[in-house]
Amino acid sequence: MNWTPAALAELRALLGDDGVLDSDAARLTYDTDALTLERGLPDVVVLPRSTDEVAALVRWARSHGVPVTARGAGTGLAGGATPCHGGMLLVTSRMDQVLALDPACMFAWVQPGLVNARLSELAAPHGLHFAPDPSSQPVSTIGGNVAANAGGPHCLQHGVTANHVLGLVVALPGGVVVLLGGEAPDAPGADLASVMIGSEGTLGILCEICVRLVPRPEAVHTMSLDFAEVGDACRAVSAVIAAGIVPAAMELMDRQTMELVEAWLHLGLPLDAAAMLIIEVDGPAVSLPDRVERITVIAREHGARSVRAASDAAERAALWRGRKSSFGAYGRTGRAFYLMDGTVPRSRLAEAVAAVYALADARGLGAGALLHAGDGNLHPHILFDDDDETQRQAALEVSQEILRACIRLGGTISGEHGIGLEKLPMMREVYASDDLRTMDRLRRAFDPDGLMNPGKLLPEIEPA
Amino acid sequence: MSAGPAALDPARYAIAGVEPLSVRRPAAREEAADVLRSAARDGLAVVPWGGGVSLARGRAPGRYDLALDLTALDRVVEHRPEDMTLTAECGVTLGTLRAALAARGQELPLEGARPDRATLGGLLAANASGPRRLRCGAPRDCILGAHFALADGTLARSGGRVVKNVAGYAIHRLLCGSQGGLAVLLEASLKLAPAPARRVALVFGVGHRALGDPVRWAALPRLEPAVLTTVGQALAGALPVASPTDPFTVIVGFEDDEARVAQQAAVVERLLGEPDARLEDDSAATLWGSLTDLEDRDGARLTFTGAANTPAALAPLIERPEAAAGALFHAAAGRLHVFPGCTRAREIVDSLARAGFALLETVAGDGDPAGVAALQPLIAPQTAVLELRARIHTALDPAGVMAYGTRWEQGGP
Repeated sequence: MNWTPAALAELRALLGDDGVLDSDAARLTYDTDALTLERGLPDVVVLPRSTDEVAALVRWARSHGVPVTARGAGTGLAGGATPCHGGMLLVTSRMDQVLALDPACMFAWVQPGLVNARLSELAAPHGLHFAPDPSSQPVSTIGGNVAANAGGPHCLQHGVTANHVLGLVVALPGGVVVLLGGEAPDAPGADLASVMIGSEGTLGILCEICVRLVPRPEAVHTMSLDFAEVGDACRAVSAVIAAGIVPAAMELMDRQTMELVEAWLHLGLPLDAAAMLIIEVDGPAVSLPDRVERITVIAREHGARSVRAASDAAERAALWRGRKSSFGAYGRTGRAFYLMDGTVPRSRLAEAVAAVYALADARGLGAGALLHAGDGNLHPHILFDDDDETQRQAALEVSQEILRACIRLGGTISGEHGIGLEKLPMMREVYASDDLRTMDRLRRAFDPDGLMNPGKLLPEIEPA
Repeated sequence: MSAGPAALDPARYAIAGVEPLSVRRPAAREEAADVLRSAARDGLAVVPWGGGVSLARGRAPGRYDLALDLTALDRVVEHRPEDMTLTAECGVTLGTLRAALAARGQELPLEGARPDRATLGGLLAANASGPRRLRCGAPRDCILGAHFALADGTLARSGGRVVKNVAGYAIHRLLCGSQGGLAVLLEASLKLAPAPARRVALVFGVGHRALGDPVRWAALPRLEPAVLTTVGQALAGALPVASPTDPFTVIVGFEDDEARVAQQAAVVERLLGEPDARLEDDSAATLWGSLTDLEDRDGARLTFTGAANTPAALAPLIERPEAAAGALFHAAAGRLHVFPGCTRAREIVDSLARAGFALLETVAGDGDPAGVAALQPLIAPQTAVLELRARIHTALDPAGVMAYGTRWEQGGP
């Protein structure tokens, strides 16, 4: 593609001058998402406001053979929004409106650039909220959440993003806008929305999203529990699930993570403990005391040294602030770290965490762990010196070995961050060639020209 | 391959009176792949067959050469109570799975008619749904991963056995509701739920005026009932509760811990008054089963979906007494079945469309007294969606082996 002034003028005619950015400075701003190890400079950045504008952009891109990568807030941790093949970066931040909210039937139509937490704020006066709550929710967008099938601490009880999407308006790779699904729990015909969710922008561009809203819980009880051994905390989590209790969230922070958070936020975390669990139960007030009691008993049986309840909203907020600030706490050390995402069966958590420490230790690297423990979802952080090429390489190798350990334990290579660029090579380890070829067949059925976020999600695969 | 010749009698695999030329019943995944490979080579049209619950009442495909009976693939591969996950071969029946899980205090969040015959694969492929849909979710919500065979005999997999997984395309979700038109489901992993400590069903007889009064029901969805089902008089006789004298029976069900269920039931009684009957625990579960089985009833059936979530959504049916008497509406699931009798199907579809219901599925029944076969979708799918479905079908089944592939492409009833 030759980015002539005439070509850019065509785009400006579609979006207006302020909707098209092509300066070096602007393009550099968008050359990576939150996986900063990978970069790719877009040729042009476009900021549509409407479904029609997205469709026009996709048609334009197709007629010029230009790759299109969609980006929400750029909080993705797998490089999914990094334009590794250049082309057009379609940023949805100006598509941030709630188009309709039906409090009786409990759904909302939103634009993809709407920030996750904002939707729950707008739904709150109706007694409703949007349940998926990735840690990035103060900034990440619903469109990005859908593209990645995002999770979050409260997905344990309430399900992941896929469980909260009813319908999608999508610009298909040819630029035609279609409705998949709708406002009803089912839709006539094939359920194409279900496969669009989590497809990381490779099957089309999300223009409008119908999400399910659920009643805000009547009561919430949040507690912190500390343990002398990380393995005990993991086993306590598994035992709670085995007892048939599904709390709203069960999160684990290890000592390394607590130390970094404490140094920053001074929340009074138990630094003499090897691990802390945050367990939250929500729902009807009448049900909580019994659940809390049962969880407490199980946790004590598994070595919980103390169980502290947040006494008010402020204490609860402080606990969650500590948990959700972990990424920032690692970041503010100035040291490089590699944040990973893998999943194992919940009953294998203790083994998985032990493997993380052992693998990092064997390479002389530090490691901290943060877990959506209730879901068996691990976020190990591997610490390394960015200026030391040997360490940098070792960190990458450790990360792959950790993911291999997850696979061996019956899990997988991503619970919520996605494959993006980061995990392309690992896809061959979790799937057989025929699995990948089948996925490739599906991708080509949507995008025969290969222009939708090329180079993501699926590795190159040789024909059978 | 197992099973004697009697078991493989083509007459047992008839769809709307049409028998296949032959039947195969593989006992292993690879055998299923072999059957498909040779069918593709011989140009046969294949229908994957589970318990035949949904298929037996469906429309016969244009060509039906081979029934691929999957009931010999019926192993529970792995149940991890401490992970609340289950992996099983798709020929296992819902009844078998329920019994295995009940012993460990867990539940499969799937519902379907005739649990003793309905298979896991059939429930998923049919996107089966029951009265507890709001509590259970749809099949696509509880499936974690699947092994499946493509029409050319390729064995493939997507997803996994863990509760969170975003690695690759969720083809397992796409196969939910695919009616056996895209691929053959062989093994699925599912997210389970703890069995509730308490179940309660509150049963109310309701007249026409009360049913159509939106204010009366408005608060119910926020209570998140496990069941909110309205049953017309012609159907209610099959339920294990006293025969109703009112035109409609509304059943509000809750499943949770003791304290919560008591609280929810008290709210409902405050809103709706003293119930005509109250069933608890196993009796309530039996009632849910009867409500689910009502779907599998002789005669014509129209199945709709809609966002409306209270019994008042049935108001447009009240002027058509025969259709109203044959209504079964799982409001919490947005799913409405109407057994129209001799009422013109077109009229029912038109009046419910004005209330936001879209036709999902139809059964013509003997002689098609309601004119179901002549129905055309009110809103035809967009051309681009039809083209996309055709490309997906062609990509997964280029030789057109799956007998229901074209129907999957066309979609709708």
